Amino acid sequence: MSRIGVFVCHCGENISRTVDVEKVAAAAARLSGVAYATDYKYMCSDPGQGLLKKAVAEHRLDGIVVAACSPRMHEKTFRNAAKSAGLNPFLCEMANIREHCSWVHEDREEATEKAISIVTMLVERVKKNRKLVPITVPITKRSLVIGGGIAGIQAALDIADAGHEVVLVEREPSIGGHMAQLSETFPTLDCSQCIMTPKMVDVANHPNIRLYTYSEIENVEGYIGNFQVTVRKKARSVDMDKCTGCGVCTAKCPQKKIPNSFDRDLGMRPAIYVPFPQAVPNTPVIDRANCTYFKTGKCGVCQKVCGPGAVDYEQQDELVVEPVGAIVVATGFELYDIGPKPAGSPYEGYGEFGYGTIPDVIDGLTFERLASASGPTGGKIVRPSDGKEPKQVVFIQCVGSRAREKGISYCSKICCMYTAKHTMLYHHKVHDGQAYVFFMDARTPGKNYDEFWRRSIEEEEAVYIRGMVSRLYQKGDKVVVMGSDVLVGVQVEIEADLVVLATAVQARTGADSLAQKLGISYDKYNFYSEAHAKLKPVECATAGIYLAGACQGPKDIPDTVSQASAAAAKVMTLFAKAELEREPIVAKVNERNCVACFYCKKVCPYGAVEEKEIRDRNGNLIRVVAYVNPGVCGGCGTCQATCPSKSVELDGYTDEQVIAMIDAL
Amino acid sequence: MKHAKMQLSTETMNVGFVRKVEALSGSSVRRCFQCGKCSAGCPMRSFMEHPPNRIVRLLQLGQYERVLAGRSIWYCASCETCSTRCPNKVDLAAIMDALRKCSWDAQGPSKESLVQLANRLFIDNIKTYGRQYEMRLAAVFNVKSGQFLKDLMLGPKLITKGKLKMFHSKNKNVGEVERIFARIEEMRKKGEAE
Repeated sequence: MSRIGVFVCHCGENISRTVDVEKVAAAAARLSGVAYATDYKYMCSDPGQGLLKKAVAEHRLDGIVVAACSPRMHEKTFRNAAKSAGLNPFLCEMANIREHCSWVHEDREEATEKAISIVTMLVERVKKNRKLVPITVPITKRSLVIGGGIAGIQAALDIADAGHEVVLVEREPSIGGHMAQLSETFPTLDCSQCIMTPKMVDVANHPNIRLYTYSEIENVEGYIGNFQVTVRKKARSVDMDKCTGCGVCTAKCPQKKIPNSFDRDLGMRPAIYVPFPQAVPNTPVIDRANCTYFKTGKCGVCQKVCGPGAVDYEQQDELVVEPVGAIVVATGFELYDIGPKPAGSPYEGYGEFGYGTIPDVIDGLTFERLASASGPTGGKIVRPSDGKEPKQVVFIQCVGSRAREKGISYCSKICCMYTAKHTMLYHHKVHDGQAYVFFMDARTPGKNYDEFWRRSIEEEEAVYIRGMVSRLYQKGDKVVVMGSDVLVGVQVEIEADLVVLATAVQARTGADSLAQKLGISYDKYNFYSEAHAKLKPVECATAGIYLAGACQGPKDIPDTVSQASAAAAKVMTLFAKAELEREPIVAKVNERNCVACFYCKKVCPYGAVEEKEIRDRNGNLIRVVAYVNPGVCGGCGTCQATCPSKSVELDGYTDEQVIAMIDAL
Repeated sequence: MKHAKMQLSTETMNVGFVRKVEALSGSSVRRCFQCGKCSAGCPMRSFMEHPPNRIVRLLQLGQYERVLAGRSIWYCASCETCSTRCPNKVDLAAIMDALRKCSWDAQGPSKESLVQLANRLFIDNIKTYGRQYEMRLAAVFNVKSGQFLKDLMLGPKLITKGKLKMFHSKNKNVGEVERIFARIEEMRKKGEAE
């Protein structure tokens, strides 16, 4: 005979307003197996929990039902109380008479009756509860960081400084990401390279960081604490151990007319190249698609001039498997392209802006390269068509962003600030030039941000025009901008020398396929989803995977660095424990009944079901059964519902328990 | 003019004019971020074709013709509600004063406006009598503006209440007033006053 205690909570007035709590407690006391029942104003309060602990001791209770709020709210609280009273915490259950009863009903009598039914069900359930023990999983104390922009660099350095090994994987030949392309950064106008490159060098020199550049994630298996990640090291065609970074090969390469994507195609690079002078590692890579040797089999100049003999045309892609315990995803963003889009793309281009065919219409990142001291023009602002210094520059904000018809409804967050910065950089470099900005709203929430924007208007004399641009067209060597000033209420026309578009920040192409490899969720724009918008902003719903930077949504550098450090802190928290403790609500297979149909394996969303071989003492295979890896199992119960032979059960939610609840009704 | 397309370039934006208004008024024009609080509280807003905030906006774009062409600046009652409440310390009342002065000096389009006429007659009266002589002001204004019967019926009421005197009474020290005007004229010539 069970000795169950029932504790009915008033929740202030939240429950007692609609439910006669005393009547519920009295009805519970009459149930078979209930040794004690009472009600209290706030069960979750310290005295409420004290009441529960005291009752466990006084009435020798072996099961507890707390009739209160949702288990999502306070199950942990009461299970901890039960534990400290010496009871197995999994013998304590919540009967939800608030969300499921008092909040949704008005009739007091009927609500009370329903509350009694709910409590009765839970009492029957607790009678069948088993003592469960938390599962412990070993942790591999190494982490993977995907993406070598400022987010990935910050996260990798923080984790490595804490003494844990980090594998940093970057798709491009050098780390640095978008931040390495920027000229100066708001709101302090410090040079991006100056604050970025020391961190890049730190990454290269850190004894705890293993850097894979020109590499991609091939496959991810496993679960929190125990991931197996396969990294594809793309063939660089240069032996990284032998190369000294002398640069003779890049200087001698006869093929020199390949647009450099790092400079937004404004400058040219050879077929064997380092993307930019401060690249880390400073090892060239051969662009096989454009290399004469790979196209025709002739040339081979770089191999001939290479002193250490590092150039290797035969090099193949290499797959490396890295065991890690946690993953930080920091894959960044890319910019909206106003050109016409291939069929199937959700993003419309801008026909009214000429679909990107007007040469002197560029995007913000291209302007960064023009303004950068290390850019293709050495920091001189010239326009792409004829290399002349533009005297009238028009900046247009919200191109792609906040334009539902163009495919994106969100605000890209960084454009207001970088456009304000652009007007300043332009004014500093072209004193007799005039900058105009067409904008809808100026969004400058950030420390010293609004002051920065006002400075661009009040001191740097940028003319901000509230209103959007309807159309751009070429007229002679000018670009005519047709806009409006909604504050005056008139149309505005400017004949500009250069037009700079603040195009939308969007997720990387292929962000969705990486998410599928990792098993993390993403929104309709392919930005990765955090577990909770406010309270778990850096964790993915998938345990052991964390987010940093603009892969989660548009973000500026300060926010990105903060989030990267936060993600690193989460990884360190995980690694601080010797073993990982998990709730034991996992599926278990009854191996005697299992018919090895493996339907469970097909339906398991976590990939937790494995095939287990049962052998006799001589090692002969007797049969194969399903096995649920408790470290991976998410406790969803899909296998239990699918199993035709009823041989898999979810602990804490067994058929026996659920049927007992139904029978009690 | 009011709805005509605005061509913006360094030539069409008269920065010199904006600087002059800023110097005269002692208030920044660029500081305004167009919140509209000035227009929200302006008692004369409903009479103006350009509300106060738009006056500043047009100034920011150097569109002085548009500003001076309108009658808005002459409707301003100089109550200073705008300046008092501005979150950015833009002294709009002072800017309005400066604009009126610019309009006057420029023999601008509003030179012929009745407000200007009233102002001129007002000053002439002070010059002549050393104080205001309302009856003459009203009579001359009506004749010069061609609205002979304007507000005629208000006359008897004002007279009975003692607000309007039939005959003028000269200021005892008209000579002093004359000297003040003479000094201003002298300062103007020297360039000390505008």
